[in-house]
Amino acid sequence: MARADVAVVGAGLAGLAAAIRLAESGARVQVLATGHTATHWAPGGIDVAALPGAGTSQAAVEQLARVPGHPYAFLAPELRGALDWLRKTLDAEGLSLVGDLDAPLRAIPTSIGATRLAAILPEGMAPALAPWARDEVLVVCGVAGFRDFWPEAIAAGLRRPGTWRGQPAPARIEAVSVELPGLEGRHNLSGLDLARLFDDPAWRAPALAAIRRAIEGGRPGPGSGAGRVALPAVLGLHDHPAILAEARERLPLEPFEVALVPPSIPGLRLFAALRAALRRHGGRLQVGEAVHGTIGLDGRVAELRAPAAARKFVLSAGAVVLATGGIAGGGLLADGPGSLTEAVLGLPVDGPATGSWLLNDPFDPAGHPLEWAGIRTDSRLRPVAPGASGRLLAENVRIVGSLLAGQRYLRERCGDGVALASSSLAARELCR
Amino acid sequence: MTIAEIVAQASQSAGSLGAPASIGLSADECLKCNVCTTACPVARVTDLFPGPKYVGPQAQRFRLGSELAPGSGALSVVQSPDRSIDYCSGCGFCTTACPADVKIAEMNNRARAALRAGHRPRFRDWLLGQTDLTGRIGVLTAPLANWSLRNRLFRALVDRIVGIDRRAPLPRFSGRTLRSRLRGHRRSRWSPDAPSADSTIVYFHGCAANYYEPHVGQAAIDVLERNGFTVIVPPQVCCGLPLISNGLYAQARGRARSNLAVLAGYARAGYRIVGTSTSCTHTLKAEYREMLDLDDEDARLVAGATWDICELLLDLHEQGRLDTHFGELDRTLPYHAPCQLRSHGIGLPALDLFELVPGLRAVDMDHDCCGIAGTYGLKSEKYDIAMAVGAPLFDRIRAGGEDQIACDSETCRWQIAAATGTRLRHPVEFLAEAYEAYES
Repeated sequence: MARADVAVVGAGLAGLAAAIRLAESGARVQVLATGHTATHWAPGGIDVAALPGAGTSQAAVEQLARVPGHPYAFLAPELRGALDWLRKTLDAEGLSLVGDLDAPLRAIPTSIGATRLAAILPEGMAPALAPWARDEVLVVCGVAGFRDFWPEAIAAGLRRPGTWRGQPAPARIEAVSVELPGLEGRHNLSGLDLARLFDDPAWRAPALAAIRRAIEGGRPGPGSGAGRVALPAVLGLHDHPAILAEARERLPLEPFEVALVPPSIPGLRLFAALRAALRRHGGRLQVGEAVHGTIGLDGRVAELRAPAAARKFVLSAGAVVLATGGIAGGGLLADGPGSLTEAVLGLPVDGPATGSWLLNDPFDPAGHPLEWAGIRTDSRLRPVAPGASGRLLAENVRIVGSLLAGQRYLRERCGDGVALASSSLAARELCR
Repeated sequence: MTIAEIVAQASQSAGSLGAPASIGLSADECLKCNVCTTACPVARVTDLFPGPKYVGPQAQRFRLGSELAPGSGALSVVQSPDRSIDYCSGCGFCTTACPADVKIAEMNNRARAALRAGHRPRFRDWLLGQTDLTGRIGVLTAPLANWSLRNRLFRALVDRIVGIDRRAPLPRFSGRTLRSRLRGHRRSRWSPDAPSADSTIVYFHGCAANYYEPHVGQAAIDVLERNGFTVIVPPQVCCGLPLISNGLYAQARGRARSNLAVLAGYARAGYRIVGTSTSCTHTLKAEYREMLDLDDEDARLVAGATWDICELLLDLHEQGRLDTHFGELDRTLPYHAPCQLRSHGIGLPALDLFELVPGLRAVDMDHDCCGIAGTYGLKSEKYDIAMAVGAPLFDRIRAGGEDQIACDSETCRWQIAAATGTRLRHPVEFLAEAYEAYES
């Protein structure tokens, strides 16, 4: 049996942020996770909130805080401090975030040639946030043999009317493709392969030279105005800041990274930084098995169990933070007959009636009803029974992140903000 | 047959097929998200291995058909045409990283086994599996054997002819086996007639502590005796893992049956079986059933009774039964957790134990794999891959400048020691030293 002051279940942004904050204040913290999802799947920016018509994240948060049952109703005041904390924590690990709650939400290009609203991005993606000047050109630069980023298709999508959501668009959008050194004839490259190649200084110098030539070849003539170049988000895993600096220096246009399908390279950088911060403060991370626990008669969870070779791994803990995510993260399980279960403690789930689960339009702008499913809590993030009774279910448990009921994290783009705000509150609560 | 019928048949038969099929069928849960590939130390450094997803869940569709066929032996599977799976080192990080609980490493282990089934193993692989034989001969001829293994001409020949890399970290044979040393000191009993199962520990030394590092076995015995246990060292053979890793399953089953025949008696009587090699203990806990299909009562009993030494000591501490009178060891101690330890799923008990030693500042280096993966990094075609996998760890150790490193697994210790020139020791050696420091 192992022992911890606090057991955190889940190693996404919410779980790691809660764990680091608790470890910072001297608690003995053990993070347990089934596997990796949130950070490895997410684009790598920090989505606090984005709604049509809201100019800034803060404005969107204020709108959401007025929605009955939305986590921001009680978490909104935590956000500013939580974001400052994240910025400082990532800075210490060499990862910079650009933008804040009051920065305008801007339409930025995606790797399928659409745009999405964003305001807070890592340094490598952030140049996409600046408004496009009247004469500015956008060059979309793909890599031959890399199938997750098709420059022609992206450029075609970005040229379609309405794509830029009424915001200023580039004057011209070009597509170029570049053969990178040693990859001639390759057709099975992954973003991970490319990111690791960029980590090698000897490889990236000629690679950046090739990208430079491709950009210059794709423009009508040298000196035809300012512009930016969109590159797949593969500019290194370990050496990213140095690679970014080199790319800025060597490329004729300002480069920015565009997020790709999973595994997300910016997400991996975020995970690596958070993991390093956790270790620095003495917290532990154990990944690999699904974790279970039970609420005792005293209304507390005394220990968590995970399958292990031969016998169960048992972690006895003073408190438990559940950061297991929603349906996608595996924190909520939906079975065939239509019931929803919370994966670790079997907490009752608040969610839509089964009849509404099947949509006629998978891209319904209202989002999928299951999105708001989750665990109801009191204002101290302790789980309570859904419905009128609101009975407290577990005294020493805190719910954070996408497992919280009432948010539509895909449609409202509030997942990272809720994760940060709730982990900040949970850590403060448990340190009392 | 329609797809729906195939799926229905598969899910119907899945329940009755036992562990092997449930490993194979877990491919159905794969989301193709490639998180496993991000965690793979081998794919990180070489193009020769395309990553766990491609050779595992993705290739599994070529294999499942016959695994489901009635009457098929568990390993008689149709092959994926891609043979790059041979470059999988078996570290297991893919399975731990997978968010969908796909048993990727286990699936790949079985697929590698199937790839080798029916072929005579090459001499090199056969030789690497015979740790009992090479150990016995090596100890008998230790001065000559150790000289030869450090002779550049001899190693160059072995490299060319056998395929064991001339630079590979081969350990030094001890002049005496642990077993013969113990006989001299009359420290252990040889039959299960000890006072009670509760105050007695059965020690599984494995090959490393017997032939190469008797001091590790001695340290474990000292620490256990210090805590009031009688230590029994029963007759035993190699756990079989080097045979499994090199595709010699029939031989491995033979070793497993020999060990189970002895150990099951102790397990049935309630004795705990403790090992100092995380690889041997993981083999006893899991691989006899998962890889060798020995899923009988004996195998289950032994699995349930087997403990890693640090796992057991930490458990004793939780029960208030560990003697915590440790003397001061004033040092910063970098620690590397071996892949095999992670497969145990028991956390990092050595780090918890180090916290009990005054002055000892253990630092988890948090690196995935040192590269060696048992016998993988010894092979000529894989040596460079193994060194590249461990390179960030070696760099860190060299930069840190500490003269001693703790690590639970012998092959990792040999690999890291050879690559960095530092002294690698088992965690239990530090605990034994701390007990000694208390006495002086």
